[in-house]
Order: sequence, then structure tokens, then C-alpha cells
Amino acid sequence: MSMLLDWWAAYESTLAFAIVNAFFALSTYAVMATGILSFATVAFAAVGGFLGVQLLAQLGLPLWIVLPGSAVGGCAAALLVSVVFLRLESHWLALASLALILITRILVLNAPALTGGVNGLSVPVEAPFWLLLVLLASVSVGFWRLSVSWYGIAARAVREDPAVAGSLGIAPKTIQLIGFAISGAMGGLGGVLLAMTLQFVSPETYYIPVAFTMIAAVVLGGSYHWTGAIIGALVFTALPQIMQAVVPQVQNVANGLALLLIMIMLPRGLIDPRAWRIRRALRDARR
Amino acid sequence: MAHSPRSARCSPVSDTRPILALTGVAKSFGGVHAVSDISFDIAHGSVAGLMGPNGAGKTTVINLITGLLQHDTGRISLDGADLSGSPPQEIARLGIARTYQNVRLFSGMTSLEQVVAGGFLRRSTSMLASFFGTSSARQAMKRTQDEALALLERVGMADRANVLAEALSYGEQRRIEIARALGSHPKLLLLDEPTAGMNAAESQMIGRLLHELRDGGLSILMVEHNIRLVSDFCDHVAVMNFGRKLTEGTPAACLAHPEVQEAYFGRKRTPPSESESHAQRARAHG
Amino acid sequence: MQLLLEQVVNGCAIGALYGLFAIGFGLVFATLGILNAAHGTYASFAAIAGYYAVVYLGLPFVPAMVLGVITGAVLAVIVDQIAFQPLRKRGAGMLGALITSIAFWMILDSLAGLATEQQSLSFPAGTYPTWIIMAGSVPLPAMQVIAIVSLVVVTVAIHWLITRSRLGAAMRAVGWNETAAQLGGVNPRLVILATASLAGATSGLAGVLGGISTNNVSFTLGEGMLLKGFAAVVVGGYDDVRGAAVAGVGLGVAEVLSAQYISTSMRDAITYALLLSFLVLRPRGLFGRTSFMRA
Repeated sequence: MSMLLDWWAAYESTLAFAIVNAFFALSTYAVMATGILSFATVAFAAVGGFLGVQLLAQLGLPLWIVLPGSAVGGCAAALLVSVVFLRLESHWLALASLALILITRILVLNAPALTGGVNGLSVPVEAPFWLLLVLLASVSVGFWRLSVSWYGIAARAVREDPAVAGSLGIAPKTIQLIGFAISGAMGGLGGVLLAMTLQFVSPETYYIPVAFTMIAAVVLGGSYHWTGAIIGALVFTALPQIMQAVVPQVQNVANGLALLLIMIMLPRGLIDPRAWRIRRALRDARR
Repeated sequence: MAHSPRSARCSPVSDTRPILALTGVAKSFGGVHAVSDISFDIAHGSVAGLMGPNGAGKTTVINLITGLLQHDTGRISLDGADLSGSPPQEIARLGIARTYQNVRLFSGMTSLEQVVAGGFLRRSTSMLASFFGTSSARQAMKRTQDEALALLERVGMADRANVLAEALSYGEQRRIEIARALGSHPKLLLLDEPTAGMNAAESQMIGRLLHELRDGGLSILMVEHNIRLVSDFCDHVAVMNFGRKLTEGTPAACLAHPEVQEAYFGRKRTPPSESESHAQRARAHG
Repeated sequence: MQLLLEQVVNGCAIGALYGLFAIGFGLVFATLGILNAAHGTYASFAAIAGYYAVVYLGLPFVPAMVLGVITGAVLAVIVDQIAFQPLRKRGAGMLGALITSIAFWMILDSLAGLATEQQSLSFPAGTYPTWIIMAGSVPLPAMQVIAIVSLVVVTVAIHWLITRSRLGAAMRAVGWNETAAQLGGVNPRLVILATASLAGATSGLAGVLGGISTNNVSFTLGEGMLLKGFAAVVVGGYDDVRGAAVAGVGLGVAEVLSAQYISTSMRDAITYALLLSFLVLRPRGLFGRTSFMRA
């Protein structure tokens, strides 16, 4: 029993970060599932994060208002951004979303009244672990329903071939707009949860490293199924911890090598429904 | 020749109101005229053919009708309503469905899922209801799936319903694509080389299917190289070359036309080669 | 007036480095469809190689610079062949390549940190030219002249290569459609290697010159360049080298002038404000062209 408690004490924070990263990964997945590579999640997270921290610290609102508030804030930011972004062709959209992160950081730095500027803000409330778990569970139910609903079917069609989807009566831009809205809500929620887990936010909290972490998590886990985002976030949060324990001198080299190897061996990620289906078809054929 | 008795009906286009009318349609890509001044009508409940050598602009015409490309001048109308400027999804909603020259099925989906996706316009439930899984949404989804199965049956693919589309042969994929297009219950079906890569028996099967569909009230435009198929199954044919219409009329009359003879038989009759169809596609890209 | 002119020259020189870097970044993006996060590390390693060449091998400036450029090119080809080629074979698209480039970025950044023992090194005085040309009353220091001349030469050469030569035509064709390129009888593998090494070489050149003129030879050199080069690519348009070059210089000048006349803290704000307005108002960049949706 005491061993179990020790283990828990050592790994609780890693797991908490894994769950927070899962929200970012799901946010990225939400747009990727409609065929868009976007890093804008980080900007939505900043909106949700700073908004949530203000609601908590300045207004002292309870969590059951703050969390949905951050999600709505992120969602609104996403809708605003997508009006411009969805006019861009896919490569440009990816570049623009990276630029959005840089711009967000400058805005955060230059609005110290809201964000604490360079010094950042401390966050008075910590997110309890059970709350993270409950939130992830409910969001998972949401993504499961999305994947089996007409939205999910339409999103898959748009992702695979937007022109064909259009000729089946599916409006690609509408589907992608919904994707952005979901991404914004998840990003906003993830942003405030990250703030509450770190108990501190600054311009560096929502910056390029988060973008690369979440995109790597999604692609590593598998961007063709929502569970891939969660698995990827778990692996990608645990990996640096393990590497630090095993090869502390060159942990970043080891991280990079691991990521490289996984991507080359499994370019569609760890969770790949198409690979399962092909394997099943082969098995059936042999029988 | 396996003439179906129906194909003798071959109504002259002028005496019925056409379902689709192209009037003086033109499209150029950076100065290259892919389609110039094309006009033709498709009669209600007929199988029309669009013929011509590779690179004649046939696929561009299909892309213009379905809104994937916008025409520069002229008018395209469906049942009298102008389609100019409408996005593809709107044109699909008005009742036009299509297949593609180089089969474009969705990667990672089974045959059944492809056809279900084709039923998007007839889902008769909102995306929100479907998200919450209300009982009416579940029933509607069940109906769509049953209908998709029936369509697979119709193209002879019911036994491959749960097979990944990538695992099917080219001819089978074409049939899935037709079933997917039928999923929206279109008024007008556009087929871009529906029998390319099929053997003679499969081609005949597609031809018979088209007549069944026509007799069920569907109008069809098919781009086809297979002269046998065109003369067996089309009621009316237009022939294009170098982006222009050479002639139109009954298949027999068209094939007898001297310019068609020259365009088709004047040079060596070779099956469409890969490079030519690529060139045509590159042209459609602009 | 004197100060303004001097600052404009400064800005052009810094901007020339951004432009040089951006040309390669944009070239890879336009031709190979890869958003390469590791592109900055080529500059870092080129600067480190140049530094080692002058300090430990005692090479003069020009051979050291050439060595840096070659380092950048070789590194770019190695990264391409290990990280991108296996994905290309499977048709995994730009997403997988982005991730493997992030992986290489982590690896190379970390190795660059080890190579300089986590310090920022600078080229010893006397290992690079320090002559000054006077243009009227405005002094033009050697490194600034070299940076600006390099940008002009590289831009003209690559623009000529892309628009006039057979290889360039093939590069454009690969950017549009790989099948079309194959039909043109060009070996796509050759195009890929040529593009990667050109991009690595320009990044390496920017790295060596930047390492000297900013007195910073370390892994942070490439990171800084990546962000600025990225901005230049967005403003200039990634499918035209002239755009990247002009935008790089423009950003450099804007940066130096805003630091001089507005405030140092607003320097980055101005860069990114420019970036944002271009995204909204002219999303294809200065020289961007319109393209058709795949029909």
C-alpha cells in the first residue's frame, strides 16, 4: 500500500500534465479531423487560460462557471480566427496559425493589466486530479458521439477529399468551421486547466513548445481516431520523464530519436483504424 | 448488338423541356481554352453521352456543371434554374450527383460507409440530434444504412459491404462510386468514364444498370470512350474535340459524322493511355 | 539623417540574413511541401562549423564560410533522407514530415548545445574582414556589405535557376504535382536532393554571417532565425524567392528603425503586426499567385 502511495506521489503530476495535454491534443485533433493542420490551439488556450485566471482570481467565481467560461472564450476566439483562416489554402493556414501564436504572445506581453505581462500571474486555485479525470471522461464521451454522428461522417469525407465531399452536398467550410469551434472550446478548457495545474501563467506558458507538443502528441497517437490524441498525449508527456530518468545527459536527443523512430515505423500513429481494418480483411481472406 | 427496346425511343431533345441545358459555356485556364462555346441539352429521363478524344475538355464540362470549376461565360441551368456561381454542395442539393474519371473514394472507409456518406443530403435528421443520438436520429441513421445496403445490392456489391474500399478492384471501386452518387437520390447523374478499367461483362452490367435507372426516372450524362457502350446505351450523344462541340445527335448519326470519324478513327485507335489522361487532368487543374 | 541612413543600412544587413534564411525555408515549403522545424538548426551548425574552422583549424574567412555553407547543405540532405524520405515513400504527406522535422530539431538543437557547451561563442577578432567602405558620409562595414551582396547574388541566382533552368522547371512542377513532374522526364529524387541542399546551403550562409555579425554562435542562433525567417516567408510569399528576400530586408529595416525610434520592446510587436496584416490583407504574400482548388 505504501509503495502504491509513493508511486502515486511520484507520478500524479505527470499524469495531471498528461491529461491537460490530452485536451490540447483533442483540440488539435478536432480541426485535423476536418483536414486542417492548425497550431491555433495555443492561442485559444491563452484566451481560455487568462480569461479563466481572471475569473478565478479577480472575480472569485466558482469552477463550475470558470471552466465553461474558458471553453466559451476559446470557442469565440476560434470562430473569430476561423473567419480569416478558412479563406486560406491549407499550407497558408498552417503558417498563419503559427504566426497567430507569435502574435498572441506579443499581445499577452503588452496587456499586463489582464495578463500580468512579463511577470505572469499566479493562480490561486489548483485543479484537483479527480476533476481532470472527470472532465477528460466527459469530453471523451463527446468525441465518441461526434465520431459516430453525421458530423463525424461528414468530417471524414471532408478530410479525405473536400471536393468530393462538396459534390455529395457536404459543405466543407461549414464542417471546418464547426471543427474550429470544437477546437476552440477544447483549447480554452485546456488553457485554464494548464494554468490551474501549473498554478502560474505567463506569456511563455502558451507558446511554441506547447504547439509542438500537442501536434506531436496527435500525430504520434494517431490523427485518424480521437483516442489517438489521448494516447499520444500520455506517451508524449511520459517520454521525457522516462528519458530524464534513463539518459539524463542527452534526454532531448533521446526524445527526438524516439519520436523519429515511431513516426517512421508508424506514420499514421499508434491508433490507426484503417490498419486494423486492413489486418482484419487479411485475416478474413486467409480463412 | 444488345439493343434494349427502350433505346429506340430516343426522343428528339427539342420537344421536351431539358433537365440540363448548357448554353455557350466557355472556360479557359490562363489563356488556354479548355472549353469554348459549348451548348447542349439533356432530355428528362434520357441517357446522354459526351464523347471525344482525350483532352477534348469532357471532364472540364463535368467539373463546370458540378460547380467544381466556374465557367467564364455562358449559362448552365438545371430544370431552368441557373447554376452559375453556386458552390458544389448547393448544386448537389439541387439534385446533381457525379462520379470521377480517376475513382475518388474516401480512404479508410468501407464500401457501406462510402455509400452512407453519399446519403448525407437525405439523412432527414440534424447533425445535433445525431450527436445526441435521439431515437428519431437513430432510426433515420438505420434507414440510411438500409438504403445504402440496397444501393450496394443494386450495383452488385452487397457482399463487399464491410470491405475497405482500397481493397477492392478498380471495377468494383467504380461501382461503389456509382452507389455513393445514387445515395443522394439525384435527378441527374454525371458519370465520368464509368467503365474505364472494366471488362466487357462488367461494362454491359453498368450499361444495363443505367437503363434501369433511366427507366426509374433518372437522367444521366456519361463521358465515355467505349464506343460500343455509347452506341448501345446512349439515347443522345454530343461529341467534343479541342474544347468545342463537333456535333450532336443519335449515337449512329454522330459516329457517322465525318469530323467525328476523323477525330476518332483518323488517327490510330489506341486505348486511352495514362499519360494522356494525366495531361488532361493537369489541364483541368489549370 | 545620418543616423537614419546608418540604421537603414543596419536594417538591410540584418534583413539580408533573414531573407537568406527565408529563401531556403520557403523553397522547401513550396517545392517539397514540408514545414521544416529543423531548418534553423542548419544555421546553428553552419555557424558552429565556421567557428571551429577558424579557431581550431586556423582557416581564413572565406574557406570557413564555404565550410559552413557545405555543413548546412550536408545536414539538410541528411535530415531529408532520414526524416522525410521514408515518409515520402509511403505518401504520408506534410504532417508526418512536420513531426519528424520537430524530432530532428530536438536532436540537433541538443547536439548544438553540447557542441558549444551551452555557451554563446563569438568569432575572435581578426578572423573576419572588418574593412569599411564609405558611401558618402555613411560607413558600410564589411560584414554588412557581405550580407547584402550575398542576399542579392543568392536571390538572383536561385530565381534564375527556378524560372529559367530545366531543374528549376522540375522544382516548380514537383511543387505543383509530383506525377506531372515525373511525366516531364525529371527524376524527382534529384529535384528533392537539389532543393534540400540549396535550402541547407542558404540557411548555412545566413548562419555563418549571422554568427559573426551578432556575436552569437550557439543553438539559439537558429531558433531566432527560424521565427524571423518564417515571418519573412509569410510576408513575402513562400512560392517566390524574390518575395522572401524583399520581405526579409523589409522586416530587418522595420525592426531596426522601430527599435531606434519607437521602443526596443515594440520591435517584435512591429514584426508580427506586419505579419498579421499581411495574413489578413494579402494572404499570399508580396509576390503570391492565385492557385486553383484541386478539381
